[in-house]
Amino acid sequence: MALSTEAATPKSSPSNPLSRMWRDARIRAIILQVLTLVGVIAFFGWLVMNTAYNLSQRNMSAGFGFLDVSAGFGIGFTLVEYQEGDSYLRVFYVGILNTLLVAVVAIFLATVLGLIVGLARLSDNWLIGKIARCYVELLRNTPLLLQIIAWYFGVFNLLPRPKQSIELAEGFVLNNRGFYLPAPVPEAGFNIVLITFAAAVIFAIGLYRWSTVRLDKTGKAFPAISTGLAVIIGAPLAIHLALGAPLGWDIPVLKGFNFTGGTSVPPSFCALIVALSAYTSCFIAEIVRAGIQSVSKGQLEAAGALNLPPNWTLRRVVMPQALRVIIPPLISQYLNVTKNSSLAIAIGFPDLVSVWMNTSLNQSGRAIPIVAMTMAFYCLVSLSVSFVMNYYNKRALLKER
Amino acid sequence: MSDTLIFSPKPDRPAPAESVGLIGWLRGNLFKDVPNALMTILGAYIAFVVLSWVLNWAIFNAVWEAESRRECLDMVGRSGACWPGVGVWFENMIYGLYPKDKVWRINLGFAVLIAWMIPLWMPKVQSKVAIGLSAVLIYPFLASYFFLGGDKSILWTALISLSLTVFVWVWATALSETFIGKSVGEVVVDKAGARNADEQRQRLIKRGVALVVFLVAVLLVNEWALEEVRTRVWGGLFLTLVISGIGITFSLPAGILLALGRRSDMPVISMLCTAFIELFRSVPLITILFMFNTMLPLFMPQGVEVDQLLRAIVAVCLFAAAYMAEVIRGGLQAIPKGQFEAAASLGLGYWQTTTQIVLPQALKIMIPTIVGNFIGLFKDTTLVSIIGLFDLMNMARAVGEDTTWLGLFIEPFFAVTMIYFVFCFAMSSYSMRLERKLATGRDR
Repeated sequence: MALSTEAATPKSSPSNPLSRMWRDARIRAIILQVLTLVGVIAFFGWLVMNTAYNLSQRNMSAGFGFLDVSAGFGIGFTLVEYQEGDSYLRVFYVGILNTLLVAVVAIFLATVLGLIVGLARLSDNWLIGKIARCYVELLRNTPLLLQIIAWYFGVFNLLPRPKQSIELAEGFVLNNRGFYLPAPVPEAGFNIVLITFAAAVIFAIGLYRWSTVRLDKTGKAFPAISTGLAVIIGAPLAIHLALGAPLGWDIPVLKGFNFTGGTSVPPSFCALIVALSAYTSCFIAEIVRAGIQSVSKGQLEAAGALNLPPNWTLRRVVMPQALRVIIPPLISQYLNVTKNSSLAIAIGFPDLVSVWMNTSLNQSGRAIPIVAMTMAFYCLVSLSVSFVMNYYNKRALLKER
Repeated sequence: MSDTLIFSPKPDRPAPAESVGLIGWLRGNLFKDVPNALMTILGAYIAFVVLSWVLNWAIFNAVWEAESRRECLDMVGRSGACWPGVGVWFENMIYGLYPKDKVWRINLGFAVLIAWMIPLWMPKVQSKVAIGLSAVLIYPFLASYFFLGGDKSILWTALISLSLTVFVWVWATALSETFIGKSVGEVVVDKAGARNADEQRQRLIKRGVALVVFLVAVLLVNEWALEEVRTRVWGGLFLTLVISGIGITFSLPAGILLALGRRSDMPVISMLCTAFIELFRSVPLITILFMFNTMLPLFMPQGVEVDQLLRAIVAVCLFAAAYMAEVIRGGLQAIPKGQFEAAASLGLGYWQTTTQIVLPQALKIMIPTIVGNFIGLFKDTTLVSIIGLFDLMNMARAVGEDTTWLGLFIEPFFAVTMIYFVFCFAMSSYSMRLERKLATGRDR
């Protein structure tokens, strides 16, 4: 390296100070960065000037003052109280809650389904493996939006009228107005059950920690998971029964033309959840499969040589190594579900994008603050998720010698 | 002599009947033990029910000739598909509302693309990289004139002529390299009888021939006038392919630049690239589409009208570039440090190291992910239907809103799903084949 520069310098040594500066990598880097920065600032300045001019031409303003103005439109499905006269800020809040509801339900269902399909793909039964493969290939090679719309127009919109509803179980009713299910009605004393439940969960976590520490120190195992589960389920149940079951169920009943009582979700919600969780479950299935296959066979053989019982092999050998591969892509799938829930707008489910970026934007005309707030929400979600992921990655990093 | 024992092995006994042939396979794979057998029976039952239901609906009970949906419903109700509606709308689902007498332009445009790419699969052709790059960078000029038509300025004429010239070069190269084994340039020089001339003269001859071809192309293109077709009538599979094609073409180079920028030592560049990537990756595509749909007209100086299709394409391109950048960055991170050090010790500069050492390896290990991204982009183009463009999916939905075929949703969706599936599945299978072909001994 040194030789070649020495040989090259006399020939190409420039007399011009400007071109000598250009040959110094550090100075060149500074010049390039300053130029880029100036270019970017000029570009944004140009955009802002154009926008300001266009806004003044159209009598629009870019402020956040509209947030406490009454929105004046109804929302079909809300988790909190909302009336037509409520403010735009309330609409934003309702939209966020609806988006999060879709995300949480779809994530739960997709994880369960994905785990089943992923294990089915690994099954040594030829037929089951093939069926799982067909399911995965078919669903992940077609657009999600198409699936959502097909479920909505093709299935949930064509369900029978309330009078001919499909009754899945006592109180679980499906018709073209939506899905009706019993709502829990807490009565006096139910708080105690909830408190017991929280205490049981804390106790179980403590028990698990203690048993891990004791296992590391003494090698004596304690069935912490089964004991913990028994406490979590048993203690609140016992209190619940002792207090005389202070939780009633409000069961939907057919009255006139529709069902009343219980809670209900619209058909668009059902279509969205079914499509979203089926679509995501394919990706989760592939992640689970890749994770389990990534554990080398030698690990299983070593566990067998140590004569570990099968459930120990799974819990202490396979899962810790597989989870290290599974969790990061799994979390990014969860993030994808949250982002994909925005497709709700295509079938009219009132999520954040639909009520805020579409209806509110068209009603108020405040394009810039509304777009900024929506993006800020999604950025916040994804930043917090990536924060969690970085924390996990740091913890799960292989501790090598 | 006769009492010497000669070892003569007995023939091998055949494997037990239950472990070979059909029975062995059934035992090993379907009926290993009781739970396994139960699973098989359950699986077979589910497969049978689903398959028989789909086949009955789509083929055996289906109506193939009818005038309206009512007629279909009168014949079979909901138990069979009503295909005539899809048949009537099929042309729209492929070409959108593009004028019927000009549809040949779309067909010709895609035929030229296929013709352009054929040399890539011809085994003896050497200049595949150049041909592939020209298909990505030069072909779009020709295609956009086919699809758009209209008046052409001098620059536009020159670009289209360039495109034609390069097309001629691609096939000349393919033919000469396949049958003569030399590049076109050498063949031309040979024909001119200047094989022994000095390099400068040879180059002059090659350039002269290229210029002549270009001028002929200019004369042809100048004569040639296609009527303008507004993008408003673009739609169907054609629109889907145009948007995803542009997105794919743009996202790969832009993604490479963004990824390099993010890993750059210059803090300003790396911060700007990181901010761009993280912003576009953390919001859903639909919000970006909405943003560009409502805000791009505000951003532009007065009097500049931005076509709705163009807004969608800009949004899709930027979104795809951000995703591609992260894929490429993953590939760059997988290159061991020794490669950079080896390049530096050979005295290679930044761009030489990047383009000749790092990127070829990074791109190769990332092929499956890159193609996976392309597939994702192809599927994501359906979102343009939400801002009102009539892509393949939206055209399928429009069938059910036609008064003659009111409520006919499942059949067109079924057809469109098949189209999407074929495209995506073909892409993913091809990438798997490519991966196997390019695997160069890294794995044991």
